[in-house]
Order: sequence, then C-alpha cells, then structure tokens
Amino acid sequence: MSRWIALGLRSGVRTTGYPSRPDPDAEVAPSAVIADLAALTAAQAVEAAGLCPTTAITLEGDRDQGGIKFDAGQCVMCGRCVRAFPGAFSFSQSPDVAVRSRERLQVGAHWAGGSAPAADAAVLATELEQRSQRLFRRSLHIRHVDAGSCNGCESELQLLGSPEYDLHRLGLFFTPTPRHADALLVTGVVTRQMEQPLRDTYDAMPDPKIVVAAGVCAIGGGVFEGGFMVNGPLDRILPVDVYVPGCPPTPLALLHGLLVAVGRGAERYRAGGGPDGA
Amino acid sequence: MITLRDLADRLGLAIDGSSSQELRARCAPEAFLGAATALAAEAVLADLFATTGSGQPWLTAVFEAAGDPEWLLLRTQLTGDSFPSLTPATHVASWYEREIHEMHGVQPVGHPALARLRLHDWPVGQPPMRATLDRRLDIGPGVPSLVPIVHGQGVFQLPLGPVRSGPQESGEFLFNSGGEDLVAVSQLLGFKLRVVERLAEGRTVDQALMLAERLAGVSTFSNALAFVQAVERASAITVGERSRAARTLMNELERLHNHFGDISRLADATGLMVAGAQYASLKEDVLRRCAELTQHRYLRGILAVGGLQAPLPDAALESLRQRLPEWLRRSARLERLLEETAIFIDRVETTGVLTPEYAAPHNLVGPIGRSTGADRDCRRDHPYAWYDQVTFEVLVKSQGDALARLSIRLFEIRQSIRIIEQVLEAWPVSDVAAPSDSPATGEALGWTEGAGGETLHWVELTGDGRLARWRARPPAFVNWHPYAEACASGNNLTDYPVIEASFGLSHAEFDR
Repeated sequence: MSRWIALGLRSGVRTTGYPSRPDPDAEVAPSAVIADLAALTAAQAVEAAGLCPTTAITLEGDRDQGGIKFDAGQCVMCGRCVRAFPGAFSFSQSPDVAVRSRERLQVGAHWAGGSAPAADAAVLATELEQRSQRLFRRSLHIRHVDAGSCNGCESELQLLGSPEYDLHRLGLFFTPTPRHADALLVTGVVTRQMEQPLRDTYDAMPDPKIVVAAGVCAIGGGVFEGGFMVNGPLDRILPVDVYVPGCPPTPLALLHGLLVAVGRGAERYRAGGGPDGA
Repeated sequence: MITLRDLADRLGLAIDGSSSQELRARCAPEAFLGAATALAAEAVLADLFATTGSGQPWLTAVFEAAGDPEWLLLRTQLTGDSFPSLTPATHVASWYEREIHEMHGVQPVGHPALARLRLHDWPVGQPPMRATLDRRLDIGPGVPSLVPIVHGQGVFQLPLGPVRSGPQESGEFLFNSGGEDLVAVSQLLGFKLRVVERLAEGRTVDQALMLAERLAGVSTFSNALAFVQAVERASAITVGERSRAARTLMNELERLHNHFGDISRLADATGLMVAGAQYASLKEDVLRRCAELTQHRYLRGILAVGGLQAPLPDAALESLRQRLPEWLRRSARLERLLEETAIFIDRVETTGVLTPEYAAPHNLVGPIGRSTGADRDCRRDHPYAWYDQVTFEVLVKSQGDALARLSIRLFEIRQSIRIIEQVLEAWPVSDVAAPSDSPATGEALGWTEGAGGETLHWVELTGDGRLARWRARPPAFVNWHPYAEACASGNNLTDYPVIEASFGLSHAEFDR
C-alpha cells in the first residue's frame, strides 16, 4: 500500500486550475456552437437547416416573412454547419456554456427585416433561488439520475472525480441518497420507463432543491426528440434551474453548470454570441 | 476446420448471394429451424433477429465459424406471426427470441421462458418495432417482476437501483441473500429503452449515423463504424486507404479509453483509490487526444459513409505519437503494482466466476468471452478497416473470474498501443475512395470489435439512400445474458461492486 501512496505523491498535482484560470489542455474539445445568423443569406439559411441532423437549426414562416432559428439546446455539435458556413457558425472557445434560461440557448434572425434575436434578457434570480444559492454556495451535494442517456454523460460525470477535475476541491459532492441531496443532475432523454423513478427521486429530495439538465438529450431531446419512448425533455417534467449544453457536456462545462447553479459562476454563453458572449 | 460454405453445402442450402466476407442463403420457413439448429451446432450463432414492415416478417440468423473470415446470413420469410423456437436446441437463441417476441410481436412457439426482456408497462399487443403507436394507449398487464425470489429462513431480498449510488447508468437488481452470500441475483433492465432502431427507419443514412453514434457513449466509434461499414457494403462503396487506417487508429483509441476506464472503476470498487485515480487520469489523457484529432472526446461526428468527415490533423497525430511511450510506461508500472498488491488480487481472483462450461452456450464476446475460453476477435477473424495491415496478438484465458477479465484488458491495452504505433508508422498518403456506381440499395452486415466485443450492425437501404431497416447487436446484448449467474456463483454481497466493474457492461447498449 505504501508504494501506491508513494506513486500518488510522485505523480504530482494534475488538477486543472479551472475556474480560477483557463485550462487550454482541458479545453481541446469545444463545448457549444455560437451562431451569427445575420451572416447567412436566405439561401444559405435554407441549406444550413438542411444540413443540421437535429432540430438545432430550423426555418420558420414563409420565404418573405420567414426566419431561421438556432437552438444550442438541440445542438449535438456534429460540426456540419461549422464546416459549411464558418462565417456564421463557430465553436465556442470557452467551457462556460451553462445557462439559467432555455431562451439564452436560442437565437433567431429574420432575413426579411434584419436580425431579430430571440429574447435573451438575463434572468434575475428569484428570492427562492437567491436563498438556495446562499445555502449551497460553499457545499453542494448532487444526486445524479440517468434518465435514458447513452452513457456518454455518465462517463464525463465519473471523470469529474479524476485527478484532472477533482470536483471535491470546489465543495461539490455526489451523494447516493436523494434525502441528502441539494441538486438533482439529470442526463438523458427521460424515457417512458425512467420517468417514474426520476419523479420519485425528485420528490424524495428536501426543499429547496436545484435541478440541472445536463446534455442536449435532457435539454431538448437531441437526436431522439419526438421518439415514442421519450417522455422528455426534462423541463416538461421537472422545473429546471440550469441547462448545460453539449453531447455530452465536457467535464469543464459540467463544472461550470454546477457553479452557475450555486451562484458561483457567471452565465456567459449566448447562442448568438454577444457582448458577454463566450 | 470447416468453413461456412462447406456447412451450407452439406445442409443443401443454396448460397443465393454473396459479397466479400458475407454469404447469404434463403430457405423456406419450415426448413429454418432444422438448418439453423444444424448450423448453430457446428458454427457460432452470432445474431438472430426479425425485420418487420410491409408484408410478412423476415427472420435472419447470422453465423460465423472459427478460422473462417466469412459470415453466413440465413434468412427466411415467415408465412405468419410465429415460428418454431430455436431455444430448446440452441440456448443462445433464448434472449434473441424474447426480444423478437416483445419488440416485433412474432411468436417463437415452444420457447421455454417467454418473459418480457425490456418492456415494463408497455401495452400488450403493441410491439414497439411494428405497431402504429398511440401514446394514449392504456397500460396493459405484463409488468415484469424480478425473479427468482428465494424463500427460506433467514433469506432476505436487497434491491438496488434503478437509480444507483453514483453517476452510473440505470438498471435494477435484486439480491437474494442469506446474510453474506449471494444466493441468487435477478436483474430488470430496459429502463433506458429508446427504440433507436425504429427511430432510424425512413431517415437518411447521414441522420441515422447520428443515432448509431448515440447508441452508447463510450462505444460510440465501434457502433458507428459497424453501421457505416454495413452501409458501405450494402452500396458497394470502397473506402480509401488513409481513411481505413484512421478508422483502425480510432477504433483502438476507443478501446484504450474504455479499458482504462473499466480498470479505474474496478480499482475503485476494491478500494484502491490511487490506482483508480491513475487509470482515470490515463483515460482522460486518451479522451483529450481524441478531441485533438476529431474535435470530440468520444469520436463523434468524424465518421462518414465512404471515409471521414474531415482528415485527422497532422499536429494531433504527432501529439498522439509522442504520448504512446508514456501511456505504455505508465500502464506497465500500474500493472506491475496491481499484480504485487495482494489485497487487490485477493478481491478479484475467483470473484464472479463464469466457467467455460457455463459460458460456452452463450457465445460470449469481447474480453468477457475471451476470459472464458472463447477464442473470438473480429479484428483477427474477420479483418475490417486496416486490421489486415497490422500485427497483434489475442489473449484467451479460461478462469472466467474478475482477474481473468482484468488480465485480458491489461493485455489488450498493450496491443492497442502497438497497433496505433504501427498505423502511425505506416500512415498511408493516398486516400482515393472509389465511389459507388451502383445505386445505394440493398442490405449488408457490418462488424467491428469494440472494447466490449463483437459489434454487429445490419442495414437494409431503400433506393434513395434512406434506412428501411436497421438491426444493431452491440456486445452488451450478448454479455448480459449470463451476468446474473456470474454474480450468484459463490460470491458475497460485498463482491457485487467488484463483479459489476469487472464486467463493465453497458446498459445503453442493451436497452437501446
């Protein structure tokens, strides 16, 4: 056993400096796509919507009055639009992509009358949210529920405990029992057969509680949207406080989501980019 | 050694179609039971599935034989919604037939235990792969129960799941225990059922590929590659040499991060925290190299029909090349330390034993199969991508315990690094793909050896490049079959986390 301890000590500190310092080595995988829809012509918009394998890029209305909408909550980051229209779509260079409102993940543009972004006003924390943020600021116990994921999200969540990310240093802990949990972190589309276990877990948690939707499956359904075994997305079933986009969300994005949940991280991402955009 | 072609000749089966490495035979529905049973006795039944759509259902059995690079697909079109069950003579058919019954509503007559496999509260008479679905249907009877339940003095039941203790996948287990020993274990799976194959029907191949990539997260690449290869074979597309080399490279990177991750969880389950952290750290490093190569940590969005979506950047290949000696050194040191840690070896040796005798009729695949004496590895037996250009060894053991499964993974880590080195060394410059001149229509099998084992995907394409039918048989489907038995065979309750980690079975792959 002493040899293991010696090996552990010899290995030194591998932990990321995030969130205090950016971590270029951990940020090699993009965390979200940013869309500058005004850069697209009408014809390009139609083509971009055709390229998108999910409903992240959609067209609305007819040719004169119509528009295009981008929804990062449905984007699986396949990169097709980024490769075809590099001027309009780009990968976010920051892992700070978690947001508190679904609208912030969406942006729209009308080619008939210039750009008309979807509502993206910052959501003010309610009194209850402020209270839970105060309560959980220093320590947050998380109950994770896999409600029908592909296991990609779980793989990343497990790595949060690895020396590279070490979520305990930030006062974040996974807990086996919902009775001790402050936050419910849900991954997956919420399948028909997982809806009841998910509701039971939520009901077993004491108030106040935070719900985090991690990954596009939980946020919008992703490639499984509209499937007949899919009862989600999550915000149809439970009130969601924080959305973490990604397929799966990178470990840093998950950390950011948990920090945003307790008021220790700022919302930076906005689907259309922007002044405080990441 | 007997080839599938000889076997088919001997049984009088006419081979009515073949492409490279794939023989197709059709027979009358009355002859199917006899032919399939005879084939299963001498060859390996690798998959059995139904396809339903317009017209009568089709039944397909996939066979392979030791030393034969070909596959044999035996197909028959049924005249009704039932067929005589293969299970009484061929044990491995049991779960395949239960799946056919609940998902397609086709009855295997004479199946000894036709319980539901994955559906919990789904209406009776509405097979998900076939029914015109109505969300407002009433829930029918037939909710599966966890059996067996053992009764007796001092015997109690301990449930686990479906919501587990840490960030884990959802599944439910029931332990029957007399205090310390596990008398019997039962499992209830299917919580994550998304019916991926039905969702794909009618989608373009490009869109269906996104689903194949999301069948299971940690085996994204092996599933997607098997799917893409099936599509390419169905439409007679030849893939360029560099793309094939890149696919081989990424197939091995995925094996590496899976094996590192599985061993990390096994070390954690035995309380060896430093080893768990060290292996998790290695997994993270592999994932970062994957991200450098493809912009995605789990290698999504890189595969395309006919090649790759984008070439692998030279800088990332160079950075990978520089990492290999370090991975080899670090994993060799950890392996040595694990072997010399007696308390660790005590926990894994003779834990969760699957004897070769019990395992054999299940046709197990991957490291779990190879730990029980099943000498099968698609990379060697049915070379695909660029595996005919590299040399590697396959380890087979017969102890069937957690230690044997661990040893095989440790061995495969070294082989994977060796394969990646060879691919990088011989990195081909030319990448000329020969586009198909025949229309993309037809059906074909695709296969890969994923980290979990043999992964089979079968597709049927329509003329306009859409998916008519898709059958995915990921390795976890096969390997879950004997799992409960391995848990109960002389183990204690406290062994369960070790057994579970040593199997490393994917719920997402099984539930689909």
